[in-house]
Amino acid sequence: MTGTPEDLAEIRASVAEVLDGQADLRRTHEVMVGERGYDPLLHELLTAELGLLGLVVPEHLGGLGLDVPAATAVIEELGARLVPGALATSLTAILAARALGPSAEPLLARVVDEQLTLAVALAEDGAGWDLGQTATRATGAGDEWALTGTKTVVPGAEAARVVLVTARNEGGELGVYAVDRAADGVDVRTHMTLDQTRRLSTVRLREAAATRVDAPGGDGARVLLDHVRAMLALESAAAARACLDLTVDYLKVREQFGRPIGSFQALKHRCADLAVAVAGARATADHLVTTLRTGAATRSHDAALAKLVCADTLMTVAAEAIQLHGGIGFTFEHHAHLFFKRGKSAQLLAGSAAAVRAEVAALAGL
Amino acid sequence: MGAPVSDEQFRAEIRGWLREALTGPFAEAVGTGGEGREHEAHELRREWERHLGRAGWIGLSWPTEYGGRPATLAQQVIFHEEYARAGAPGRLGHMSEQLLGPTLLAFGTPEQKARFLPRITSGEDIWCQGYSEPGAGSDLAGVRTRAERRGDHYVITGQKVWTSLAHLADWCFVLCRTDPGSTRHAGLSYLLVPMNQPGVTVRPITQLTGTSEFNEVFFDEAVAAVEHRVGAEGEGWKVAMGTLGFERGVSTLGQQIGFRRRLDAVIARARSNGAWQEPALRDRLVDAYIGLEVMRHSAVRLLASAGEGLSGLEASISKLQWATWNRSLGELAVDVEGAGALLTGPGYELDDAQTHFLFSRANTIYGGSNEIQRNIIAERLLGLPR
Repeated sequence: MTGTPEDLAEIRASVAEVLDGQADLRRTHEVMVGERGYDPLLHELLTAELGLLGLVVPEHLGGLGLDVPAATAVIEELGARLVPGALATSLTAILAARALGPSAEPLLARVVDEQLTLAVALAEDGAGWDLGQTATRATGAGDEWALTGTKTVVPGAEAARVVLVTARNEGGELGVYAVDRAADGVDVRTHMTLDQTRRLSTVRLREAAATRVDAPGGDGARVLLDHVRAMLALESAAAARACLDLTVDYLKVREQFGRPIGSFQALKHRCADLAVAVAGARATADHLVTTLRTGAATRSHDAALAKLVCADTLMTVAAEAIQLHGGIGFTFEHHAHLFFKRGKSAQLLAGSAAAVRAEVAALAGL
Repeated sequence: MGAPVSDEQFRAEIRGWLREALTGPFAEAVGTGGEGREHEAHELRREWERHLGRAGWIGLSWPTEYGGRPATLAQQVIFHEEYARAGAPGRLGHMSEQLLGPTLLAFGTPEQKARFLPRITSGEDIWCQGYSEPGAGSDLAGVRTRAERRGDHYVITGQKVWTSLAHLADWCFVLCRTDPGSTRHAGLSYLLVPMNQPGVTVRPITQLTGTSEFNEVFFDEAVAAVEHRVGAEGEGWKVAMGTLGFERGVSTLGQQIGFRRRLDAVIARARSNGAWQEPALRDRLVDAYIGLEVMRHSAVRLLASAGEGLSGLEASISKLQWATWNRSLGELAVDVEGAGALLTGPGYELDDAQTHFLFSRANTIYGGSNEIQRNIIAERLLGLPR
């Protein structure tokens, strides 16, 4: 496998096939209300059997050595079906680790060796997603660190074995650290969530043993934040498309007044506007994938902008999906509300619209 | 023109040529013409068309026998980018080059191509488009202008409207009804009509901007040669739709360079007059920037996948995006200005913000209104029932 467009299409298709069989929206519906909130068998299938965790890990570290788009394609396929759990956060953490260079290689080797799933923990009470306000402390040196602090609204922690955490060392420098969920001093409390497809956890660290993942003097925490935004953007762009398809299909078959309601211009025009928004989100997300692949200097700008555009697009499409479905769209058994709730979590995680918009303006030099 | 050149060479060549031309004899033409300013500097811009033509910049990708020059899709995009970046004048020849030329290349006879195309690539002939009528706007198949065949010519009677540049044009490509008993798409023909003849009267339409770039065109027994009919008699609809399908997206990125320049000007103004400190205005300005970025990524994505140019569907998405975006920026431009935007110069002379605010209302109407674009997207892209 060399990473040609054909390989990429093949990976996407094989993942889509597995997900259609094991993790379609109906299954998401069941899983999200279960006790764990995710499907451990699916995690096992996609990691141990399909080898997803090694997809973009370099070959000399035991992975397949494919390029960024292989992982982002999988994130999109997961996003289109709102698959709960730590698969998307794992791929996101792996992509971030790749971007961090040699210092993250030991972690990537472990990921493949031990089939580690990962969560990403940046936000804190009071600080939100503002990296500058990070209060979690890291003490130690070299390979041995101890972390103390509390991370909130952490996606993936309910299912992950390792959590990537941003923390500040005694010199005040921000860094990225890896903490084993099972280590002493790590307390993960998973909450019931408004967006039931995405559980969120509070991760309390008390002198928890950690290794440092990024190189001192770099912008590792920023790299991690940008990748979390990328994850939300890619998931949202794919989910928006899926939600629009679902809605348009319904409008073609639902009849009122003796004709398919999709023939009414009032509904058609709204769908057309949604299609334009979905196309724009897709293009913006694709551009971000190119940025991540080429390591372009615009990464922070492009990730912030794509997260804003794609999350808003999903929110708009999903809100319209409920309305266009009418009564059935208001029922719990229908899928429309899952997209609606996922849209809101994509909007609110990794920085509010106001904060991210301000960041985009600053990064664009407006 | 010689052997194929690389994209970098092509860019350097057009950039260098534009710099020389626009600092020399055409320095006064910089920034004239275009959206809402079509009334400016006609003589100079007409000469500019000939200057462009002599240098071989008209008819990129057309056959060399008609005065064209080989150019890849990427190079056509580069031409439009550099053209916009240089602030070169609004083209008087855009309908000639973008609409009629491709139509003749696809549907014209060898004689029609040989006669008309070299005069387009040389910048000699200016063309206008005779499609819309008072009763046929969004519903173009409602065309009623009649053309009656008399021997080797047609005699045309009727009225066209919203005809840009009709007062300057040498020729008009006219959609008219050649079969008197026909309705809708059948019985139409596509005729090439000289504008300089007794049966043609052009009356400018004064727009809500106070200026005129559109016209009414009255045909009162105007004459067109039968040999100047494009396509078969009664096949005019197919030819006209072909023309609309020639929106190839090559000018989109160039257009966006112009948009970015406008946005930067509005932001600069907001920074200088304090409007940037108003959170609500600042949000709208940043959203405008984000919207333009989305359009740029969309254009790049479409061009990357479009070896043969845009399909009609993609063109509809693109039109809806930019027209709506530009109209919003026009509103923002005057909001940033504040109450000062309410004062005009003598004779209703408008500044950039005022012109943008007013003229951009046309964006979402001409070239297929937003509503028509939404119909196209809903029915042909999404497959919703008619």
